[in-house]
Amino acid sequence: METTSLISLSRQAGLRRQMEVVANNIANMNTVGFKGEHMMFVDHFVRSRGGEKPFPEKLHFVRDIATFRNIQEGEITQTHNALDVAIANPGYFVVQTPQGERYTRNGRFQLDQSGQLVTQEGFAVLSEGGPIVLGQRDASVTIARDGTVSSEVGRLGKLRIVTFERDTELKQVGNTLFRTDQAPRPAERPHVVQGALEASNVQPIVEITRMIEVQRSYESLARFIDREDERVRGLIREVGQMI
Amino acid sequence: MRSLNIAATGMLAQQRNVEVVSNNLANMNTTAYMRRRTEFQDLLYQNLRRVGTASSDTGTIVPSGVQLGLGVKLAAVYRIHEQGNLTATDNTFDLAVQGRGYFRVQLPTGEIAYTRDGTFQLNATGQLVTHDGYTVLPAITIPNNAVDVTVNQSGQVLVKLQGQVALSNVGQIQIANFPNEAGLNAIGGNLYIESPASGAPVAGNPASTGFGAILQGFLETSNVNPVEEISNLISAQRAYEMNSKVIKASDDMMSSLSQLR
Repeated sequence: METTSLISLSRQAGLRRQMEVVANNIANMNTVGFKGEHMMFVDHFVRSRGGEKPFPEKLHFVRDIATFRNIQEGEITQTHNALDVAIANPGYFVVQTPQGERYTRNGRFQLDQSGQLVTQEGFAVLSEGGPIVLGQRDASVTIARDGTVSSEVGRLGKLRIVTFERDTELKQVGNTLFRTDQAPRPAERPHVVQGALEASNVQPIVEITRMIEVQRSYESLARFIDREDERVRGLIREVGQMI
Repeated sequence: MRSLNIAATGMLAQQRNVEVVSNNLANMNTTAYMRRRTEFQDLLYQNLRRVGTASSDTGTIVPSGVQLGLGVKLAAVYRIHEQGNLTATDNTFDLAVQGRGYFRVQLPTGEIAYTRDGTFQLNATGQLVTHDGYTVLPAITIPNNAVDVTVNQSGQVLVKLQGQVALSNVGQIQIANFPNEAGLNAIGGNLYIESPASGAPVAGNPASTGFGAILQGFLETSNVNPVEEISNLISAQRAYEMNSKVIKASDDMMSSLSQLR
């Protein structure tokens, strides 16, 4: 008899976490290179106490099994900043952090005091031959479609752009960086756009409708638990009067 | 409830976004103003179920696990050092740099500041100064009897003195480059000073390799694009509203919980 409430509770706990995922997506709707996430739910079967029957009755609990990243490409917006780069095809930039190589689609790069191409946090952006360093006389930087960085002085290097077999399994580590144990492989058709950035791929309308859905299901479950409580109470009262 | 906090970080970030946009719009007509942009980053992720844990006795591996993001933060407000439009003013001492480089200015404190605002004037002693009266370096003095002053592309200041035919050279304007312009510290008054992030300045003559050329009688306008700013403003405002809706929804969820018996 208690299972009714427990099943509703399992769903409510999941909904709360889904609300947090939605909140994070909306909070990051203007974060460059951000990828929205969804919650994946599964039925969780529990065998009923009835034992083996020709048509076994099973109870379905709900469990949030995983967060699932939407890897759809975000909109590419022009910024006219020479060191802003977006990738128009699948692929990730490789960034050297103290914890090892990380991957990102946030192409908001800048130069540090030694003229090295770095991310916003100061991590070196890797080319095929290590970091890219600009000299003081390199006045204008051009980044070609295939990622080749050059200035009027000459070629400086080619940005390393990699893809993975299973994109959705990359882990977000914050700062729009991703981590994975999979071996990166060079992107087949890199398409780099200079002077542009990839906006977050969060679709506000989808998120808001999802939020409303979460909120309403949560409320209806609360009402459901309330009614179930009333039913049980009524039952106890009536059975009690019989004695 | 975490979603309340998460949405609050979102509202805070968008508020900063609006502040930066309003500063850009306020400086739309400031000479050589470089527009700013906000940069956001997602916060840390909390693992409710680790990636790679077994989900059954037979050793099925959870492929992605449950990761909850904790919101957004303002990562940086950075300047976009894109050349602004050049407008003709026909003023003798209005100078613009076309390309890379900053004029050097001596502050009253003795420090050297850098600027791209070339609205220069002469002070009582005939020295080239900024509109705040700070000396332009290297110091250039225009003689009293000069009838015409020409600054050429490479920064040479040539004057025609009364009663003379040939032009005489009274000085050379130098400009400075930085490895990382975005790291310069803005101190207001269209001035920047060197910072550990900018790297050391390299001075050179205008129009030499890597340095911009000087245009006399021109000024660099701000590089603010009003249409872009307004659309940024709208998107920031909408994002703010959406985050407040999340707060409202989370609150409703909590209140439905508290109404339970």
